[in-house]
Amino acid sequence: MLTLKFRKQGRGFRLWIPLFLVWLLLLPIVIVLLPFVLLACLFLGTKGFRALAAGWQLLTGLRGTHVEFTEAAHCVALHIW
Amino acid sequence: MSQERRDILEMLAAGKITAEEAERLIAAVERTPVDASTSVGVESSNRPKPKYLRVVVTDVRGKEGSPVNVNVRVPMQLLRAGVRLAGLIPQPAMEKANLAMGHRGVHIDLGNIKPENLDELVDQLNDLTVEMDEGKGKVRVFCE
Repeated sequence: MLTLKFRKQGRGFRLWIPLFLVWLLLLPIVIVLLPFVLLACLFLGTKGFRALAAGWQLLTGLRGTHVEFTEAAHCVALHIW
Repeated sequence: MSQERRDILEMLAAGKITAEEAERLIAAVERTPVDASTSVGVESSNRPKPKYLRVVVTDVRGKEGSPVNVNVRVPMQLLRAGVRLAGLIPQPAMEKANLAMGHRGVHIDLGNIKPENLDELVDQLNDLTVEMDEGKGKVRVFCE
């Protein structure tokens, strides 16, 4: 789950976005980019499978990330569950 | 025979210390490394592994002098994945990155950070706390 929090001058709102929806939206882009990534790996001499595994670990490792920016009455926060 | 024990026996032979004192010193020399290694081992095993790297920045330079706070929590898992990904950077690009970091005063060879010694690196981060306090601003980096 991805939580976005905005607050401005005392008013604000929270947005809960299920991560699988984000992945679903990103899936077509990933599918389009995948051949290019594999080609780049082949060209640069990097193992494609290892690159994909590292990319997957990067995505799964996002859980627990928290970024918050506060200034006086303004606040923007992002939290990944 | 260790150097410390040899020194003690030489002092005994020279008559600088008595036999009882030499015995006590030898016992202390034998005990010290064991105690030190045990205490370090117990301490490191009891301490929970850090899960997150936290960066907190407080700056009083916002609009009308109001404080600006930035609070970032990065999971260690993400750091691990990042280092694994960095391990896939081709050698020429790695050299360029090392050179660029060297120009900015960060003399680290990225090629030396390997997944094999990653756990050790993360364990060492547990002891890390960086605090910078410069008048109106403050930066804290620590593990939790």
